[in-house]
Amino acid sequence: MKSFSLHIATPERLVLSQEVVSVSIPTKDGQITVLPGHIPLITNVVNGEIVAKTAHDVLPMGVLGGFAKITQDGVTILADFAEHVHEMSEDVVQKAQAKAAELAAMKETLSKEDFEHFEAELERSLMRVKVASKWKNMDAAVAKYNQSKQ
Amino acid sequence: MSGTKELKRRIKSIKNTKKITKAMELVAASKMRRAVATTVASRNYAVAAWQVLNAIKDLDSVDHPFLNTSDPKNVLTIVITSNRGLCGAYNTQVIKKVIGYSKQESSEVAQKYIVVGKKGSAASQRMKLDVVASFTDLPETISLRDIKPIAQFIIDEFKSGSYDHVQVAYTDFVSALAQKPRLKQLLPLEVSELRSSIESLDPHDHSIETDTREYIFEPQASELLPELVEKLITMELYQFFLESSASEQSARMMAMRNANESATEMIADLTLVFNKARQANITKEISEISAGMASVE
Repeated sequence: MKSFSLHIATPERLVLSQEVVSVSIPTKDGQITVLPGHIPLITNVVNGEIVAKTAHDVLPMGVLGGFAKITQDGVTILADFAEHVHEMSEDVVQKAQAKAAELAAMKETLSKEDFEHFEAELERSLMRVKVASKWKNMDAAVAKYNQSKQ
Repeated sequence: MSGTKELKRRIKSIKNTKKITKAMELVAASKMRRAVATTVASRNYAVAAWQVLNAIKDLDSVDHPFLNTSDPKNVLTIVITSNRGLCGAYNTQVIKKVIGYSKQESSEVAQKYIVVGKKGSAASQRMKLDVVASFTDLPETISLRDIKPIAQFIIDEFKSGSYDHVQVAYTDFVSALAQKPRLKQLLPLEVSELRSSIESLDPHDHSIETDTREYIFEPQASELLPELVEKLITMELYQFFLESSASEQSARMMAMRNANESATEMIADLTLVFNKARQANITKEISEISAGMASVE
């Protein structure tokens, strides 16, 4: 099976560096799925989920904003923040949920600067909740993903 | 025994100090390692971001405020210092660098400052610098989230035209033994300088070579560019903070190691004096006793 290298880097760490056969990226104009041999493309990435497929495995990840550089030999994604779904344990998700609720309640009372700070936090929490709950039941979610790609 | 008692107390207090400096040295060493690891981890991103910027080939033809170089009239300087002391010459060196700059700059240039860290903020008050903002509550392990508000503030101010040059005074982490204070331009973006600074991050990486492929941009390159440039600036600032933080910890480690060594020396010296005094006392007592015996006989 043809494959290409996928690197996902955030300012804080290299989240993923692996050979994959396809990857779906959320962009401003909708989701794109990259297969080996894609023409060179540079696009922005919006908040959502990146789904990479290796020969045997599906790797779902949550992502917050960034860029993707796609060439024939590989894809590099520069994200502000990215996280594997398996890193989002039950605990983390629950905390994120609580945090999101708390932040939403605080929205009214915050000053502009504080709000900007918390908005990023809120986005992160919401992304975690959304992506983690979708992929909670891994097998079913993988089946659904495969179906949508056929 | 009066002299020896005093000596004993001093030796004990120096031993206690030594314990503290030893502990601080170890803590600083582990914090330094963490800061260095974070710096290395962020390099991947910096290199990749550079590649994307590089792919926008007609960079020179793009008219963007971040890329327009002009003579400086309003300069904003960001001074990165530490919140805590006991780190050798770390803060002094950065502040000296800033003083050197502010003296040599012509008087027509308006100088404003953003100061990070309690030490720098105290120094800027002494020097009567024109400080527009001061950040003294940053955590010791800096994450990108802590930098974002600062970066956003700088970008907004630059966009609004309040400043035409932004530079950063930080400490470059050369090695655990050597740190160098530096003054680097952050805005406007000097493409050639940025290139060299990113290449210096990763000298063995050949992927930075000019990309000749024709890319499709989605959306237009002109739309992507501002966002990309803002990310790059935030990233650069983040790296300056990381370098400074690694330098601070290594400076502290060295300062504490020196303190530790001199404490060891002092303890050795004092112990010698103490032993001599003790021996003198014993000799004196013995001679007193034998003198007493002699007089009885």
